[in-house]
Amino acid sequence: MFVWDANDLNEEQADAIQKVGSVFLVACPGSGKTRTLTYKIAYELSKITSNKKFVIAITYTHRAADEIHERVENLGVDTSQLWIGTIHSFCLEWIIKPYFIYHQSLKNGYRVIDSHDKDKLLESLCEPYKHQKITIWDCEYYFSKEGYVLTCPELGKHASLQKIFAEYFQALHDAKQIDFELILWYSHQLISTVPAISELLSNLFSYILIDEYQDTKDIQYDIVCSILKAGQGATSTFVVGDPNQSIYESLGGYAIEPTLFGQMANIELVLLELSQNYRSTVRLVDYFGNYNFFDTTIVASSDERHYPSLITFDSTVTKDTLPDEIVRLIKYNVEVKGIAPNEICVLCPQWVPLASMTRQLVAKLPSYSFDGPGMAPFGRDMDNFWYKLSKIALTEPSPLMYVRRIRWAADVLRDLEDAGADVTRISKKSLLRECNSIVLAEPDGLIYLRAFFEILCDRLDIPIASHLTLKDHYEAFFASAEARVKLLIQQGSDSLGTVVNFRKVFQARRGVTLSTIHGVKGGEFDTVIAFALLDGMVPHFRAPKQEESAKKLLYVICSRARKNLHLISESSRKRGYSYYTPTEALKQCQFTYDD
Amino acid sequence: MHISKLTLVNYRNFANTQLVFKEGVNTIIGENGSGKTNVFRAIRLLLDDSLLRFAYKLDERDFFRGIGDWRGHWIIISLEFEKISQDESIQSLFLHGTGNIMSGAVTRATYNLIFRPKYEIRLALSELAEGDQAGLAKIRNEITIEHYEAIFTGKSEADFNDGEVYKTIVGDFDAVKFNEELNFSEIGSKIPGILSVAKEISFTFVQALRDVISEFQNNRTNPLLTLLKSKSGEIDPLVFQPIADLVNGLNTSIEALDDVQEIRNDITSTIKDAAGETYSPTSLSIKSDLSDEADKLFQSLKLFVGESEQGHEGPIHELSLGGANLIYLTLKLLEFKYQKAKQSFANFLLIEEPEAHIHTHIQKTLFDRLNFADTQIIYSTHSTHISEVSNVENINILGKHHGKCEAYQPSVGMSPTDIRNVQRYLDAVRSNLLFAKSVVLVEGDAEEILIPAMIKKVLGVSLDELGISLINIRSTGFKNVAVLFHDFRIRKKCGIITDLDAAIIDTTPVPADFEALKSYKLKCLASQTAGIARKGILEAFEHGNPWVKTFFADHTFEVDFIKSGNAAQVVATIPEVYTDSATITRAKNDIESGDIARYGKRVLRMAAQEGKGWFAILLSKQIDHQTVIPDYILDAIFFSYPSVSNEVWVNILNYRLRCIQGAAAIPSPEIVEFRTKLRAFKSGTMTFEEIRNAMLATFAADKINDILGSF
Repeated sequence: MFVWDANDLNEEQADAIQKVGSVFLVACPGSGKTRTLTYKIAYELSKITSNKKFVIAITYTHRAADEIHERVENLGVDTSQLWIGTIHSFCLEWIIKPYFIYHQSLKNGYRVIDSHDKDKLLESLCEPYKHQKITIWDCEYYFSKEGYVLTCPELGKHASLQKIFAEYFQALHDAKQIDFELILWYSHQLISTVPAISELLSNLFSYILIDEYQDTKDIQYDIVCSILKAGQGATSTFVVGDPNQSIYESLGGYAIEPTLFGQMANIELVLLELSQNYRSTVRLVDYFGNYNFFDTTIVASSDERHYPSLITFDSTVTKDTLPDEIVRLIKYNVEVKGIAPNEICVLCPQWVPLASMTRQLVAKLPSYSFDGPGMAPFGRDMDNFWYKLSKIALTEPSPLMYVRRIRWAADVLRDLEDAGADVTRISKKSLLRECNSIVLAEPDGLIYLRAFFEILCDRLDIPIASHLTLKDHYEAFFASAEARVKLLIQQGSDSLGTVVNFRKVFQARRGVTLSTIHGVKGGEFDTVIAFALLDGMVPHFRAPKQEESAKKLLYVICSRARKNLHLISESSRKRGYSYYTPTEALKQCQFTYDD
Repeated sequence: MHISKLTLVNYRNFANTQLVFKEGVNTIIGENGSGKTNVFRAIRLLLDDSLLRFAYKLDERDFFRGIGDWRGHWIIISLEFEKISQDESIQSLFLHGTGNIMSGAVTRATYNLIFRPKYEIRLALSELAEGDQAGLAKIRNEITIEHYEAIFTGKSEADFNDGEVYKTIVGDFDAVKFNEELNFSEIGSKIPGILSVAKEISFTFVQALRDVISEFQNNRTNPLLTLLKSKSGEIDPLVFQPIADLVNGLNTSIEALDDVQEIRNDITSTIKDAAGETYSPTSLSIKSDLSDEADKLFQSLKLFVGESEQGHEGPIHELSLGGANLIYLTLKLLEFKYQKAKQSFANFLLIEEPEAHIHTHIQKTLFDRLNFADTQIIYSTHSTHISEVSNVENINILGKHHGKCEAYQPSVGMSPTDIRNVQRYLDAVRSNLLFAKSVVLVEGDAEEILIPAMIKKVLGVSLDELGISLINIRSTGFKNVAVLFHDFRIRKKCGIITDLDAAIIDTTPVPADFEALKSYKLKCLASQTAGIARKGILEAFEHGNPWVKTFFADHTFEVDFIKSGNAAQVVATIPEVYTDSATITRAKNDIESGDIARYGKRVLRMAAQEGKGWFAILLSKQIDHQTVIPDYILDAIFFSYPSVSNEVWVNILNYRLRCIQGAAAIPSPEIVEFRTKLRAFKSGTMTFEEIRNAMLATFAADKINDILGSF
């Protein structure tokens, strides 16, 4: 049985882990949610005695899955009976791949479309509707239990969008392709029409852990609950998240009521809370408590909780002076407060202003380095086969990296096999060995990768051209990377296209982080600087419940900071014929800000 | 759970065949070379952990040779399992990978090894235009075994035995017709990486071995060591510690022996003398290396068995071969029991030719008792002793036809009554008819004795050489046995020889008939009526079945024997039947009378007096190469053995030439010339028609010509 040092966990955490049966755990920011999840996984894994039982952990991102996997491994627990990944990977691995033959639309084979190809397809389908100003940006959608849901707030466009999507689904069907949303849709159909699947799976799973439940969609809840229900109590669940941080509602994500979840899964749930915040100071916890929509308990418990936090709110700076102000704040934090640059994060609700801010900061602060959107030369689609392979291609073999690279190799092998390549003569180790033995002097990143892939495939005797998935992904990977490198070089310098810069994608962050609010999920920094906190952006003007939505976004922003927080609602940003005004919830918050 | 079906497509000597298995004990019967070992190998590729790696290493020699050009074809080995339970979580992982879901529930499971060209080759084939022979040839020319991949799938729905299904999925190579579709859900989905079927079940294979002693002497194959190894891991450390201490004490004591120390010192000083202080090792000692680890210590354990009465126990190599084999088989069975104790949900025991292990008299007992719960046992055999104890419903027969092996299930589609009858028959008269290449059924001792004798004397080859088993049913209940031969069941020829019992006299009653004649006429009439009825029944029975055909003697075997022109042979037996010279003369006159009413009555009387069997033995002594084989018998023989090979003809004709030459020291010029022709025929420069015509022309009087002429 896995045991831990008494100092590893607090009472709440230990209690949640040791509780027998299913637990619904609401965890406040900085409360050691990931740690609790990690120890829970280790604890449940150590209870498994059969190779026929699995612990399933569903995370929101691949990155989180990787991180938790590594942490469980570092606890010294055998992870062979652990499966961890996103809900999409889960559905693909456990439902689609073994049972696709039972779905009419999948039985003659399927490929997962690369997101770059998906964009290109949608762009071409939008083309005839240009006059209606319909672009790919209107084409975001998700599946609910009933069918697909368009997220475009402009209802006037829906009639045309429906035509576009009819064509889109037909095109995918004809090409025997599925996108990520369809993975969920088909999985849900399989689960609901073939009851044996849930029954078999529930017999295999001793635990299903769900991270970040607040961002989970109804179709996902339904899939998981069908399996839990089929288990008739034999499969337990451990649901973790924070309803206050539910910021993906526009994509269908929502924090389910625990009782409803219990009913759907037909199981007894114990409701527990993690209320000790080990991240932020008392002052910060007090402050973001203003946006605590669900009234959860938060107690500042960090060793440095009495650090004199700076919390500022600036609504006077103009759009034009904003970059200088942010430069000033960064410099102040680094030079005066002694904060390391990689512990600073600049947040913005939207992609476009953030990208422009990134470019200006790079120009204004040449001695600093930045990790921001568009800074990476490739990697928009982490499920792309060649992206996965480039992880190995662009990292150096080292004892520290070994476990991680072996796991990447396993990923690559699995994808190769799924693509129909013969991998019987290749092992994880031999794949790594082959990769390590490829030494290229090529300085250009793209040429380097092309050459690397070509040599490797040749040595493994896998002709790319004859495997459709590999070929599709190859073309998409390079088309997308080439476009991005071109853009990077236009805006910055030639050095961004080099292998050296390519390698940075997989190195630990070293500079100031720039991120959207949605992208910062789970992250924490000493200093957080957020701008564009403007009505219409925070919350998004499309969001249904404006006040609730604004509070959740502010809650996420403010709870990222350990020490200092700088909030900015810049003036003179144009909105149609008038100007944006500060976010209402922020304006109404009564607080004595620092100067 | 048990294996219900094994399908082999293009694997080794199987073009396309299916074996059916039931719960419990199953038998695979087959002559040598009929593919028993390959059937087992196929099952092991899928289920035996130690053979799994070979599944990925199939090569061109694994393709069915009769396929011609193997390039592009697939090898499919498919297992089907029944009696599975979806609710038992112990089976869930297995069913997750292999369970076939029908209307929402798992009812059976399939697990396949498919060896097929890699994607790029399949793609190229699928793009061929129909009939594009040149295109196909071009693709095939480039295919090597390196272009093949082995995949394991589960949940397949395809009936791989159906040639049309094969053509749809793999392609039609003759017509060059390939499906544009490359993905077939029918072949199932790949087995998930988390599932290793071989590890889910317990599986033991007992090989037919010829040298059991060397198996015992080899550490890797010694079944005793395997058993001990599985136990050594479970030994309580507290119990073992005192033993380990003793071993260590023993080591110290040996090392401390004066003689040992003396040698050590001598070595040290000799090195120093030879190499000098500088180059000598700094220290040197002699250590006793008895291991104190349980598994290594256990390797020193040997089995001693007492076989004789005196109570002396000796090592294995002192045992009789039969005794050693019995011990070997016992240990393997125990190994299986241990494995089974690991609580896998399915247990399989495959035993190859148990007759290679044990004496025949133990076989029957052993297999009557060999019945583990929840275990499916499949054994192969060519011993009739074992097959007679197995249930005909649990038998697969392997047969060889034109170079390819096929499997038959002898009881498919039979009614329970039929099965009971066959079973009773098989139990009673040995089951060698299950082993035959083809069968001729006869009703009595006379046929059983005389037909083989006639064939041997006239043709010079024996029925065995022709692969025909002549089986005496000892009644006219042919149907009970012949029912086995059918398109669904054993696809081998079964000729039936029986008497029509037509009366040899005019049975019309005449008022002047005295009592004895009256009753004789009535008896003849009754037999005749029964014979006609039997004929009707048999003809209805064989109707539409190409495997079974009945051949009738018009009257009775002995009568028809004379009718065919063998009066002289019968006459020759008269002195052994009668002693009274008057009777002898009368009998001779009767037999030679040419009047069926007279010779018929006489020969039947003689047979009755001697007993039919004994009379047949007397008669068989008179059979020579001039004997005429009655047509209906020849017809039955050549029905069962339809294609006489040239080689057999050469043997027959050579034999006839020897008969013609007889005692003459110098062969006649005709014989010499004909022998030259026969050599030409043998080497293939002469056709059968030419040699036949030559024979008919050269030796017009020879008896073989009647037979030759009908070919």
